[in-house]
Amino acid sequence: MKNKLYLILTFIFLIIMMINIPVFAHKVNVFAYVEGDKVYSESYFNDGKKCVDSKIEVFDNQENKLLEGLTDEEGVFSFEVPQEEGDLKIVLTASMGHRAEYIISADELGDTVGSIKEELEEPVPVVSPEVSSFDLKEIQSLIENALDEKLKPIMKEIKKSQEDKISLTETIGGIGYIFGIFGIIAYFLSRKR
Amino acid sequence: MHISEGILSAPVLVTGAGLTAMAVGYSLKKMEHKEVPKVAILSSVFFVASLIHVPLGPSSVHLILNGIMGALLGWTAFPAILVALALQGVLFQFGGVTTLGVNTLNMALPAIICFYLFNKGIRSENNLIALILAFACGFLAVMLSGIMVAAALVFTGEPFMQVAKLVIIAHLPVMILEGVLTAFCIGFLRKVRPEILNV
Repeated sequence: MKNKLYLILTFIFLIIMMINIPVFAHKVNVFAYVEGDKVYSESYFNDGKKCVDSKIEVFDNQENKLLEGLTDEEGVFSFEVPQEEGDLKIVLTASMGHRAEYIISADELGDTVGSIKEELEEPVPVVSPEVSSFDLKEIQSLIENALDEKLKPIMKEIKKSQEDKISLTETIGGIGYIFGIFGIIAYFLSRKR
Repeated sequence: MHISEGILSAPVLVTGAGLTAMAVGYSLKKMEHKEVPKVAILSSVFFVASLIHVPLGPSSVHLILNGIMGALLGWTAFPAILVALALQGVLFQFGGVTTLGVNTLNMALPAIICFYLFNKGIRSENNLIALILAFACGFLAVMLSGIMVAAALVFTGEPFMQVAKLVIIAHLPVMILEGVLTAFCIGFLRKVRPEILNV
């Protein structure tokens, strides 16, 4: 009776441990960022190789498919920022049952679409509205471009940090877990006999 | 080789999990007390082997070693592979929780089939025959795993030809690599530690 209780507790612990882990795919990753009025997505295997000709699907926050396409030789797929509000979910389906997701939050998208509109709606008192709105738009796009340019290396860094590199500590820890689990099994086997 | 979450349909997932649970239960019942350390060591070998990536064409493949697992462990390959895959899922996000059953079945069932096919052969008196059969063991185990992955995808609704082509092309080099590794491993064990094979 006691044996069974221990076993059940161990299983519950293991299951809880697994459920709390965010689910990424083995071997493929997808990363997306907004640049200007376009969304760029990059897909790569976890050793850094690009996913070529892999299917990318884009969903809105109601799980409706907005568009789909294939990645190019660099693993890149880009599309215009859609009109829909809310988060975008980008799903990569690579060969042989590999799949990954990436969510772009609404704020990130809103920066490009929303802000220009908001600024334009505000009446500008001094100069004539046409000129000022044109200027505003131009300034906005100039700033956007400059920022995108400056942020590129940072984006790259973020992307790099998201690649799930396998660390030595985790590997050794995993081996330790395996010995531990089989230690538990050995314990139960020894009690049975 | 690890199928990710959200790809397979529910019936495929449930079938895989059910069959794996039965096989693991059976082999745990059968497992001898003195076998446990060997199973643990090979389980960790399997765990680490999947981390070794071989860049290849448009994809990237990794060692599986289920042929060696089958040849050395027999039925106890099931719990060994299950534990290793569970940890790969938790620590490295390979595969996933819902696909654990299917993935275990995909890799462990070929191991056991190869155990029954080559069990006698790799323990034969003749060194050359043993090595050739060890190669075949490693080769066939990966091939069967590939076929099972393809079957899981086809039952979920992916077009058959596309999947089959991918499996053959992507796994052929791994099959050869694993065959050579298995032959090397068995040859080494026959010379240095024959008692491991004689169990």
